[in-house]
Amino acid sequence: MSTRTRHPQVFRLDTEGDKPAPPREKPKSRKLRRVSAPKIEWHDETAEAENLPARVPVRPAPLTRSRRHWGTVLIAAMAGFLSLAFGQWAYGLVESFFARSAWLGWTATGLLAAAGIAALAIVLREMLALARLRTLERLQADATHATATDDADAAARVMAGLKSLYAGRADTAWDLSRLVEHEADIIDPAGRIRLAERDLVAPLDEEGQRIIARTARRVTLLTAVSPNAALDVVFVAMQNLKMLRQLAALYGGRPGTIGTVRLARMVIAHLAVAGGLALSDTVVQHLIGKGLAGRLSARFGEGTVNGILTARIGRAALDLTRPLPFASTSPPALTDLMREVMRLGGGEAQAE
Amino acid sequence: MTGLIDETRMALGSLGDAASGLVHPTIRLGVTGLSRAGKTVFITALVHNLLHGGRLPLFSPMATGRIARAYLEPQPDDRLPRFPYEEHLAALTAGDDRHWPESTRRLSQLRLTVEYEPSGFFARRTHGGRLHIDIVDYPGEWLLDLPLMSLTYEAWSAATLVASRAAPRDRLAGSWHAHLKSLDPAAPAEEASAAEAARLFTAYLASCRSDDAALSSLPPGRFLMPGDLEDSPLLTFAPLDLEGRTPGRRGSLQALMRRRYDAYVTHVVRPFFFDHFSRLDRQIVLVDVLTALNAGPAALTDLSAAIYGVLDCFRVGAKSWASHLFGRRIDAIVFAASKADLLHHASHDRLEAILEALLSSAAERAEFSGARIDAVAMAAIRATREAIITEGGEDLACIAGVPEKGEKIGKEIFDGNSEAAIFPGDLPADPAPALAGELEGDLKFVRFRPPPFAPGPWGARVFPHIRLDRALEFLIGDAFR
Repeated sequence: MSTRTRHPQVFRLDTEGDKPAPPREKPKSRKLRRVSAPKIEWHDETAEAENLPARVPVRPAPLTRSRRHWGTVLIAAMAGFLSLAFGQWAYGLVESFFARSAWLGWTATGLLAAAGIAALAIVLREMLALARLRTLERLQADATHATATDDADAAARVMAGLKSLYAGRADTAWDLSRLVEHEADIIDPAGRIRLAERDLVAPLDEEGQRIIARTARRVTLLTAVSPNAALDVVFVAMQNLKMLRQLAALYGGRPGTIGTVRLARMVIAHLAVAGGLALSDTVVQHLIGKGLAGRLSARFGEGTVNGILTARIGRAALDLTRPLPFASTSPPALTDLMREVMRLGGGEAQAE
Repeated sequence: MTGLIDETRMALGSLGDAASGLVHPTIRLGVTGLSRAGKTVFITALVHNLLHGGRLPLFSPMATGRIARAYLEPQPDDRLPRFPYEEHLAALTAGDDRHWPESTRRLSQLRLTVEYEPSGFFARRTHGGRLHIDIVDYPGEWLLDLPLMSLTYEAWSAATLVASRAAPRDRLAGSWHAHLKSLDPAAPAEEASAAEAARLFTAYLASCRSDDAALSSLPPGRFLMPGDLEDSPLLTFAPLDLEGRTPGRRGSLQALMRRRYDAYVTHVVRPFFFDHFSRLDRQIVLVDVLTALNAGPAALTDLSAAIYGVLDCFRVGAKSWASHLFGRRIDAIVFAASKADLLHHASHDRLEAILEALLSSAAERAEFSGARIDAVAMAAIRATREAIITEGGEDLACIAGVPEKGEKIGKEIFDGNSEAAIFPGDLPADPAPALAGELEGDLKFVRFRPPPFAPGPWGARVFPHIRLDRALEFLIGDAFR
């Protein structure tokens, strides 16, 4: 706040477009008290959102110190050396092809160029995918901050982020248009986030829950019927990775290969941190359930355990990839997920 | 003894309510506010928004489409007039003649029924998703009578005199004080002098209420807004200077005044309270902070004291199974700084801070008793638009609308027809200086005419508002189970 007090002021407005001209009894003899006509900028939320100050979002300090140490130097040096070696080898190869005949040389060059472009594209795609994942993380941090402190800037950033994330998707078009309708309303920052969560993200949650339940059900069933323990491991891992990718794609963070690995690492970390708590609420019933299932059939008992694990991984991934934290809607309880999973017969037949 | 009887009365009442609530769930919404705080406009806007499916994005039952239909029930209580919703709506939507509803002069009641999609197993099988919302509208002045229930005539008399001898009231009370000096409480009662005292006392109260002073704590309320008690002997009493006197003998002026005061409390105040306020479920306290800020620190302190006194009368606390048996309690209160549309939304946080500082003692007490509370800057009907005016390299956050005829800022006087953008001044980030009156002259909030009633999206005509949805969600959002 400026130290100088600003006194109340009046600015006469001429008839605005959207208001019928009121009958004027007396001519407007009263002049504005200013020399130059003041510039009037009507409050327009969309304009405001574009002119946001570029402020670095408040984020918690990273837990680990960045390890730009000898390991990095070693890897960088090795990578540089290897790429030099590869370059020399390829160059020599192409040169020898040219020496044999011109067309062979050109073909080799063409193939090499195509391979180079493809490699570049893959790197670019992976980087984009990582950036998308990072956007989700940043949105979540901003939304938490906006809800906790009623920070208008953070809320505006979240809204802009959500808009760019979900624009151009057919399944979110309707929800997004409903959200944009309220943009010019006067709503508190925390309310805005709640609104976005209810109107935009909650419909996606249902689909996310279905993805988790479907994967868990498949894992349960196939573990129960698979003939080989080693096959189990491979299969469960594949299904889980697929689930992670599907969930991330659902919320707008479609990951590449590196992205999926990163996501998997985040999920494991999340499970390690939050898992202990989440475990305690329902684990008793589930172990009892597993015990019962195990009495019926050892394989089936194992399948159930794998299914529960998959559902828990799914829950963690949902928490991580969701652009907003759970605030106004409640997160899907593991019990609900397990109920989905346990509807084995009909559900699976329909899903497949 | 009376306390015990009252408790029993309230318990019996709420036991009946609990029984009927199983079949017809009812929410009694207490719209509390002193006069000109915007009660009538709030009720009209609330009803209109529910009836016509208004834009209430944060009111989840409506925004998620669970409300199927809302309608006004025929007046359930045959002794009370119905809230003249249609009349008020007509006043607000009268095109070029649009104006805010006249100030309320009598008690009226309204029952709004909302049909919704119930989510609970029990609700689905009993009442099938129908909720009654009962609202009472009344002149805000009458609310000030509630603290009188616990005051004797002598105590009230002394308190009123002390207040009237302090600034800024002393200069308004001159003629009444002069007459008071000529009265001897021990003298034989005379109707004429009692009536004269009451007349001068009423005039003093009325001048305290005028815009310049804008004081709030002015009981007894019926003196300013007599309703159907005009010229009744119930209203011909006034405080007397009783310093150091023993209770007067029979037939004295003091005895007459005391008898009338007691009759006023018994026949006017207590029925008003027990019929309408003793069994509320939810409460919204509308506070016109901006008008009080206009008038200065005395008005603010007075407002704070008046509201504290009034809220003291309500039964507040968390709901439990026992509360159904031993009297209903108010378990959620919204403190709303009304008319927030007279201010740019960037300043609403500061307005909320001032409101919280103003009502801190009342809010703390409510919170301590277990009720949920929320403070919100609200405008049930938003009369202005917002604009940033850049002038001399400085951005002024202005509001624009059509100011009421006769409103003025500095030398500018508005004619009630032309639109103007107004910069009302900066609210301070810290509420303390505002309460201490250091902002005298730096702020000026003018009244605006109601907004033109324009059709909204899909042709539905609803009033614009500020945070009405947030207040509603807090008050009744959880009732749509």
